[in-house]
Amino acid sequence: MGESAIVFNVQRYSLHDGPGIRTVVFFKGCPLRCRWCCNPESQRPEREVSYLSEKCIGKKACGFCGDACRRGAIFFGGFRSPEDGKAIIDRALCDDCLSCAAVCPSKAIKVEGEAMTISEILDAVEKDGLFYDNGGGGLTVSGGEPLAQGSFLVDLLAAAKKMRINTAMETCGYGDYRTLCDAASYLDTIMFDIKSLNAERHVHYTGASNDLIVSNFESLCRDFPGLKKIVRTPFIPRFNDNVEEKRAISGFLAGRPNVKFEALAYHRFGEGKYRALGREYNMAEHEG
Amino acid sequence: MSNVPVLSPQEARIADEAALETVPIAGRTRRILEKIREGRPRIDVERGYYFTKSFQRTDGEPLILRWSKALLHYAENASVYVDDDQLIVGRCGKPGRYGILYPELDGNTLREAIVNLPSREVSPFDISDDDARLIVTEIASYWEGRTFHEDLAKSLAPETRKLTYNDDESLSSRFIVNETASFRSSIQWVHDYEIVLEKGFIGIRMDAEERVSRLDEFSPVDNTEKKPFLQAVINVCDAIILWAARHADEAERLFAFETDEIRRSELRRIAETCRRVPANPARNFYEAVQSQWFTQVFSRVEQKTGTVISNGRMDQYLYPYYARDKAAGILDDDEAQELLECVWVSMAQFVDLYLSSAGGAFNEGYAHWEAVTIGGQTRDGNDATNDLTYVFLRSKREFPLNYPDLAARVNARSPKRYLYEVAETIKDGAGFPKLINDEEVVPLLLSKGARFDEAYDYSVSGCAECRMPNRDTYTSPNAYINFAAALEMTVYNGKMLYYGDEALGLETGEFEDFKSFGEFFDAFLRQQKNFLKHAFIQQHEIIRLRAAHFASPLGSALHRLCTESCTDLHQPKIEGGIDLGYFEYMGYGTVIDSLAAMKRVVFEEKKVTLAKLKEAMLHNYEGYEAIRQLMLNAPSYGNDDPYADEIGKILDMEAQKFTSKYSMELGVHMDLRYVPFTSHVPFGRVVSATPNGRKAYFPLSDGSSATQGSDVNGPTAVLLSNFRTKNYDRREHAARLLNVKLSPSCVRGEDGTEKLIQFIRTWRDLRLWHIQFNVLNRETLLEAQKAPERYRNLLVRIAGYSAYFTELSPDLQSDIIARTQHESF
Repeated sequence: MGESAIVFNVQRYSLHDGPGIRTVVFFKGCPLRCRWCCNPESQRPEREVSYLSEKCIGKKACGFCGDACRRGAIFFGGFRSPEDGKAIIDRALCDDCLSCAAVCPSKAIKVEGEAMTISEILDAVEKDGLFYDNGGGGLTVSGGEPLAQGSFLVDLLAAAKKMRINTAMETCGYGDYRTLCDAASYLDTIMFDIKSLNAERHVHYTGASNDLIVSNFESLCRDFPGLKKIVRTPFIPRFNDNVEEKRAISGFLAGRPNVKFEALAYHRFGEGKYRALGREYNMAEHEG
Repeated sequence: MSNVPVLSPQEARIADEAALETVPIAGRTRRILEKIREGRPRIDVERGYYFTKSFQRTDGEPLILRWSKALLHYAENASVYVDDDQLIVGRCGKPGRYGILYPELDGNTLREAIVNLPSREVSPFDISDDDARLIVTEIASYWEGRTFHEDLAKSLAPETRKLTYNDDESLSSRFIVNETASFRSSIQWVHDYEIVLEKGFIGIRMDAEERVSRLDEFSPVDNTEKKPFLQAVINVCDAIILWAARHADEAERLFAFETDEIRRSELRRIAETCRRVPANPARNFYEAVQSQWFTQVFSRVEQKTGTVISNGRMDQYLYPYYARDKAAGILDDDEAQELLECVWVSMAQFVDLYLSSAGGAFNEGYAHWEAVTIGGQTRDGNDATNDLTYVFLRSKREFPLNYPDLAARVNARSPKRYLYEVAETIKDGAGFPKLINDEEVVPLLLSKGARFDEAYDYSVSGCAECRMPNRDTYTSPNAYINFAAALEMTVYNGKMLYYGDEALGLETGEFEDFKSFGEFFDAFLRQQKNFLKHAFIQQHEIIRLRAAHFASPLGSALHRLCTESCTDLHQPKIEGGIDLGYFEYMGYGTVIDSLAAMKRVVFEEKKVTLAKLKEAMLHNYEGYEAIRQLMLNAPSYGNDDPYADEIGKILDMEAQKFTSKYSMELGVHMDLRYVPFTSHVPFGRVVSATPNGRKAYFPLSDGSSATQGSDVNGPTAVLLSNFRTKNYDRREHAARLLNVKLSPSCVRGEDGTEKLIQFIRTWRDLRLWHIQFNVLNRETLLEAQKAPERYRNLLVRIAGYSAYFTELSPDLQSDIIARTQHESF
């Protein structure tokens, strides 16, 4: 139980990630790089610096981060607005030592990702226990990709079950099947993303092949026929938002037991987060 | 997920109306509503005038007798009205929205008030020149020197007085230890309306006459106490019967001129009904509703009840009439709903006029809360919901009006359909109903000595209080205490920046010299205790003085303990009663957050020194933004963070310990309460920058809600913080008002309703007293600030009540926008 995982958010009062009122634990680190991803902070497994210039109060009032940075990666004012004196992080120089975040009074700079042990996670999840009991709510593990944290994930789910907490997992399906099996045995619901059945486009838009995802899902259906499965597909312009794809997916799911399908609409709420992480948002070109 | 916002039904309706450019007018009550929303409220002088005239003639007589004669004088002379379209009649002022005068309270401020009322920012009133002259020459001149307000000010010792009033002629409030007894003669109250429906005032009068005949003609007590009491009851019965009969006359007069056949038959029925009730027992739903409404309005004439007289458990006492009429086939739900809505639009026309700016600021948006209670339990502890309960809820969804203030009682046995319809009504977005939790209220009432049947039968009263008709006997309004001011006094060694160099509180030492958080916290607790001390001294004087200033013959006639003992309701001690009072903790979140921020940033992390923090606050954080950000981002209340919540629990405990020790000296259960109305705004206007990063003179946190915008862990954490700061091992606590703002997307669809029910059930299981919801998009509120004329109908939940957003002051509007809106994720 001394082990820990990097979690980037524990989201309470979550209403759209399984039955009832839930708490979602987001693991950091994902094997895919979906271009539309609305949680870019979930992708890298390490802790990293995120920065929202809107919250920065500028060098005149503060400037603490500049003093704290040992690599000279923080400048003030400059290309965005020369007058405001706000911090600018040169990501090429930054090594994510996180010392700037520790001194930022306005939380404009903060750390994405926190090491949490199983008992810390369960303490956080148990806080809303009374809310779960009134409607089948509970814990949802998400990410990133929870399967990427293999044994920790399975231990967490086993411990949650022991506390009689309802469990759900959101997964992209790209992971070791044995881990998936171990996790599934402690799950009440699984939310499994199938983004595309077109192998080529899948690679192009997510950075990985869909072979493993498809075979994992087929095996899961075979080995856990009683498990409640919700298959979710985000329909993304130019990628999979078309009739052939929809037909292919519904054909693939037809006749499988305990499978429900949910379509997710594309949104760009994550765009600001790319900026906060000093990355580029690659979706603009895909909107029609 | 699209970027188009999900609208609440209320928002969608307003958007539709804007698109059509016209408001759809359907039905009589809509027509009445449209008419009354035109124009600002006006002052009607008749109540103040006839009351004064009568009092001039009865000097020296027993107070309750004088009061009853004044009511009789009013009933004989005041104008009566039968409004177009109305089915239910009875009003105590001119057509349209009106406020009336209670010069016996704070008539000393009348002269100044009539100049200021039309132009004041908060809750303005219009007044004609003739009426203004009459007020000065006929009303104010009599009351100056005789009002409760002046007497109270005279009786307060200087140390208490300086925390209460400014040293000016109108005795304006300091908003520190604020008394509320001079702008209302009773706290929120509920009559036993069943007495009227079952006996009629003829029956009540007969009982009193019979009692008179049995008095001992040689007994001094019978002669000087019981006889005037019983005569006053007889007078007030005569008054209300006469007043109703004059309405019958008026309806007959109009009938003679009316050509429309349908209206003629309505007028005939009005005339017949007003001859029948409230004199006699009600025979059907129509008569019951009319009888209750007459009683309510006459109660308004009698006295200024805080937040206006409440309606009690309407779905219970009206049910037998409703059920009987329905079974007989003479009433359907649409007709029942229309009659109730006739009452709601009448309520909406009565506007609670506060002369003083303190009173006006307490109740912004012309607020009054004639709470209507629905649901809950029967006297024997079973589920009380019935078909009529659902008519009230339907009316609330369909009729866009902020009256009455609908309060739904919830308990562990509330049926699913009830919770479902309550949740659907909340989703409409207008903030109704507020919820009151039987699981918290009933045990507390029991702990004060109530029987089970009385406790199960409580009514919601006013904003969030609960009353047991025929058992509650304490009517004295109580102190609102600004504990953020106590915090400021701990910073400035007994002074406040707003009041300059005047020493107001204790000298607890220079801010810079505190060596530890414990030392500072102790100093604050001493200031807190000092405020409580003066609040209780103030209360002692209020209780003593009220008995000589106020009487309530009608209220007493409708209270079994009063009639049994022949004691006026406003006397401090009534045989067999339970006295439930309260005092208000203002600025709870502000104080907790300030203490938590100091503990963390100053004493633990040592990022800022006390000297530097003080310097920053003296400059209102201007030029000290980094310090402000540090303080703002420290642990705060409302996030289920034990760091802050443990401080809150201590504040709550210390206040309860104080009242536990001293309230019985006042003869009252003086309970700790967190219900601000809108007063967290004016209380904030005297408090300079606070250590939680709050800027000077901004609103304080409201009720037991978190500081505006600081509750970032979602609504479950808000509930849990509330839970964890309560001291369940004590009984000296009453209502905690809790506002939760949800975006419509949280409650969308059937699934959203289900999850709202789950949330409500958990609130119930946590034994929190009260909760109310605003289901609105923030953008809508911003838009309404920009284009008020389009959003005249936009109702928002404020504090125990809802009001039209565009009628609120800019400060309060901003405050509501700043409350954190919880999104689901």
